[in-house]
Amino acid sequence: MTPEAVGKVPRRPDRFATTRWSVVLACGDSQGDEEMARNALAELCKTYWRPVFAFICRNGHSVPDAQDLTQDFFLMVLEGDILKRADPNRGRFRSLLLKALQNCLANDNIRKRAHKRGGDMKFVSWDEWMAEAPSHFSIPKLESENWPAERIFDVRWAATAAEHALRQLGEECEARGRRRVFDVLGDYLAAERQDVSYQKLSKTLGVPEASVKRIVHELRVRYRDLLRAEVAQTVEKPEDVDEELRYLCAALAAG
Amino acid sequence: MNNISDCMRIESDVTPCEQCGSASKIGRGLCLNCLLHRCLDANSGNAENLYEALNEVDVRDADWRIGNYQILEEIGRGGMGVIYRARQRHSRRIVALKRILSYQADSQETLIRFRREAEAAASLDHPNILPIYEVSESEEGLPFFSMKFATSGSLLDLAPALRNESLRSVALMAKVARAVQYAHFQGILHRDLKPGNVLLDGRGEPLVSDFGLAKWLDISSDLTRTLTIFGTPGYIAPEQAQRSAANLTPAADIYSLGAILFDLFTGRPPFLGEHALAVIQQASEKPAPKLRSLLPGFDRDLEIICSKCLEREPRARYRFADDLAEDLERWLEGRPIIARPVSPPVRIWRWSKRNPKLAGSLAAAFVLGMVGVIAVFTNSRLSSIVQNAELARHSVVVTPFEDLDELSTSSNSAKAATSALTTALMQTNGIRASSSKTQVVDPWSTEDWKKIGESATARMVISGTVRRREGKQRVAIHVIDTASGKVVSRWLGDPESAGEIGKVLVKQISEALDRPPANEVDSDLVGGTSDPSARSYYERGKEFFFRHNFADLDRAIDSLRTAVRLDTNYAYAYALLATACQLKSLLNADGPWLKEADGAIAKALSIAPMLAEGYDARAGNSLYRGRARESLDDFLTAYELEPGNSRACARLAHGYHVLGRADWSMFWYAKATRRETQPFYADNIGDIWTDLGEYNKAEEAYNTAAIFQPDLPVSAIGLSRIELFRGEFDKARARCEQAREKYRSNPQLLMIAAQIEFFSRNFGRAEQLYAELMKGDHAGGVDYHGSVRFLSATGFIHAMIVTADGKALLNEARTLDQKELTTAPDNPARLYSLAANYAALDDEISSLNALESAIAAGWIDYRSMTLDPRFDAVRATSRFEQAVANLQQATRQMADRTGK
Repeated sequence: MTPEAVGKVPRRPDRFATTRWSVVLACGDSQGDEEMARNALAELCKTYWRPVFAFICRNGHSVPDAQDLTQDFFLMVLEGDILKRADPNRGRFRSLLLKALQNCLANDNIRKRAHKRGGDMKFVSWDEWMAEAPSHFSIPKLESENWPAERIFDVRWAATAAEHALRQLGEECEARGRRRVFDVLGDYLAAERQDVSYQKLSKTLGVPEASVKRIVHELRVRYRDLLRAEVAQTVEKPEDVDEELRYLCAALAAG
Repeated sequence: MNNISDCMRIESDVTPCEQCGSASKIGRGLCLNCLLHRCLDANSGNAENLYEALNEVDVRDADWRIGNYQILEEIGRGGMGVIYRARQRHSRRIVALKRILSYQADSQETLIRFRREAEAAASLDHPNILPIYEVSESEEGLPFFSMKFATSGSLLDLAPALRNESLRSVALMAKVARAVQYAHFQGILHRDLKPGNVLLDGRGEPLVSDFGLAKWLDISSDLTRTLTIFGTPGYIAPEQAQRSAANLTPAADIYSLGAILFDLFTGRPPFLGEHALAVIQQASEKPAPKLRSLLPGFDRDLEIICSKCLEREPRARYRFADDLAEDLERWLEGRPIIARPVSPPVRIWRWSKRNPKLAGSLAAAFVLGMVGVIAVFTNSRLSSIVQNAELARHSVVVTPFEDLDELSTSSNSAKAATSALTTALMQTNGIRASSSKTQVVDPWSTEDWKKIGESATARMVISGTVRRREGKQRVAIHVIDTASGKVVSRWLGDPESAGEIGKVLVKQISEALDRPPANEVDSDLVGGTSDPSARSYYERGKEFFFRHNFADLDRAIDSLRTAVRLDTNYAYAYALLATACQLKSLLNADGPWLKEADGAIAKALSIAPMLAEGYDARAGNSLYRGRARESLDDFLTAYELEPGNSRACARLAHGYHVLGRADWSMFWYAKATRRETQPFYADNIGDIWTDLGEYNKAEEAYNTAAIFQPDLPVSAIGLSRIELFRGEFDKARARCEQAREKYRSNPQLLMIAAQIEFFSRNFGRAEQLYAELMKGDHAGGVDYHGSVRFLSATGFIHAMIVTADGKALLNEARTLDQKELTTAPDNPARLYSLAANYAALDDEISSLNALESAIAAGWIDYRSMTLDPRFDAVRATSRFEQAVANLQQATRQMADRTGK
């Protein structure tokens, strides 16, 4: 699987009924289209490479080593049945990916073989992907040092989903010629803030205050939908979204 | 983990969320926890509602476009420019876009200048230079340019993580230096190299940004702007604050590279100050602090490399960024660096400002050494190179081969080899060969190769040497890449005929030409180490070795032994161990030391058969064993392998000097001096002039030595010896005593002091001094000059005064000489010493026979002969007188030849 092949995947298959992960799982049951499953899996991996990389780094690997291992890991995931071997009882994409990763790092032989086989093959296209979707995720130093690698993985996962949705929201605004609106109002998505000056924003955007309030509200609603849709891509059934979100909230709040 | 990728920024100081107290944020101040919570248990909305709401806003994105780019976000802002992440509209490529803010729209001329410079920068194509995609103006006429979006920040962000990782810092900066050299060769100076301008891609590879564009972009403070200095205080070269931009040379960028290195190692630029002006003032008034004054115990070679970049005098810095890269790469590979520890050039420039007249005469004496190596590159000169730099990819130019037997390029065999190779290459398809038309004498440096390559528009220069060796023709050939000045291929062998030279080499040269530039490395150069602890022992060993005292020499040997134990394939360490062991045997004529050296040399050469240092060490062993003639072959091999190596030239010069070929010796010292930035061999040159009776020239050389080698008493020794020969014993004695106060424990100074007393027949004092010397080495000690064995002189004095043990001591000395002669029968110094012993023992015939043998083997110092009291018994004989007369005539002839 090369990044070019990944590019052929439709940009946003956001229908809940067939989440990407369900397509992947269906293929494991020999019920689905294998090529579609591979593309869906590649698209998921392309989005969620950062948690994998962060986990490997947190396990004490140097940055260049972690980059090589990340490449090797994804090539193994995409070429083989490693996800199935990781947990026959299946589960969410996130937990399966983490288990596969843990097994992979624990098994030195796999690692060496993968490295050999990987050769010039690359999955993660660092520069391109980071330029296209830079991350601004930050955590406090103390927590980065104290949290176990698994928690780093989960939190980085949550951030990836949240950033992905944010980027999609920006693109939707841009598609309507209103990226500037997103740039100005995007900071107010999270919660009611005391210091929001609608008057000032109204002046900046040249629309009445009431409109600003309405746009902020609609941006929040849309963001919520996009984030839920994103999380849905990683679970088997749409009903699992809330459970997965709760799990991620717990990971952030734990300890 | 935040350092290479943007995966996770780790902040030491974060404001927790007002709502939930969590401190994990995804940018824009958005709290991750709050975002997730808001999405729980929600009903699905309708996207159309958002789109309707958006339509209420009458702000067109067109305002948010520059040229053909959609602005995505602002990522940086400086005094004069803003940087955005942007997307090119049709290709959808993500770029970084820099817009100049304070450009004065009324000046068309300024706009044209900006475009010209930005387009020049855009023409740079190097893997470690941030590519510029487009230079343009926005609709309002504001200039901007787009470039690769570097994803992993700059050295500014990476620096804290690099603090204790010298290896990574050095590897990174070596690449940066190569990139800077590439730009220099294209005629573009950077003028504002600083950590913030060295960006990093996703793999952590450095990308130098803003070449030549400093003045259009961020200027750090109003103060610097009013001074019209372009650059960033702390990293800019002192001359950048004083000269107009047009007069800057590549040396300014090299200074900045040094300042960045300094910052990476210490966490701060070399100079700090409350404001920009204070920093600049300090940089131009004070020498940069030594790295190890801030980091005691830090690597000595890295300190030397940094200091060489940070010299205030531009000409004292590395001449090319490539030379800096070379040293950094050498350090990484555990090979010896080229930069020298002391910085006498600055000393001499400062000093010559105070003593212009004397400095002038010194400069004349070292015209070969000084002028040859100083390259002043102006911007315009670089630009002219750019115009000529369209070097044909498959073109080579052959420079005249050097005949090492004739010291000439016009001998028959030199011409035959040159033309055979040129012809063979000309007949090869796909190669455009020519012979060099330029008159570059003794080419060896990057600049020489560039000059030759440039004038012939050739990509590669081929140079070589020939000589007779064991009845065959020995040929050495080097293929040099014109752009980098690097040897990309070399060959050493004994071809049967001149025609074969061409055949053998055509294939090799074709391969070198086909290789892409990135692979142009010295592939046959093995012998470094990848083991960091072996390297650190080697570095320690080298540090001790260069302290030149005997206590540290033992430490050097210990460290080097450990280095080769840790990495048994570390050829460089073996070679240096051998050299250290040789030095150890200098005062203690101890067989085991030279034996250990033999072992280390054999090992070094079996690992790296093309290691010049190995042949140099093996030659050294022959020399130390008194077999100078034998040493020449290995010294020549070392030179053939590395013609740019000054040490090989100097050691050859020494070999020829020992063999009485003062004229050839001078030729090789001149070569050695040309290859050094400083005349390190001034004292040896002084010795030759002394032997040739040219005392005035010798004095000039020793005076230079005093400036360039202030840590050694070489000048005092040389000058007092001249005074001794002139019969000015009191002056000689006073000079020695004065020097001994400064260089208290130097054994060579003690030797010359003893010799002065002995030759001036002040026997009481001479005996005391020789007794002191013999404490260090009873049996084997011999004067460096004049070949007086301590034992023999003591025996002679005893025989004159008390006679009790005098004769026995003289016989002992004679036996030692004879024993050494069994292994080195034509060692001139030993034959001479034997002659003196026989004379002291009143054996006239044996003495004169030995003396004549010594002269036949190469002894030319007839002045010591006329003064040495031990020859008193034979002095009046006609054979002795004749010998002196012959030597006088021979040295006069050599002096004439050398003078020419």
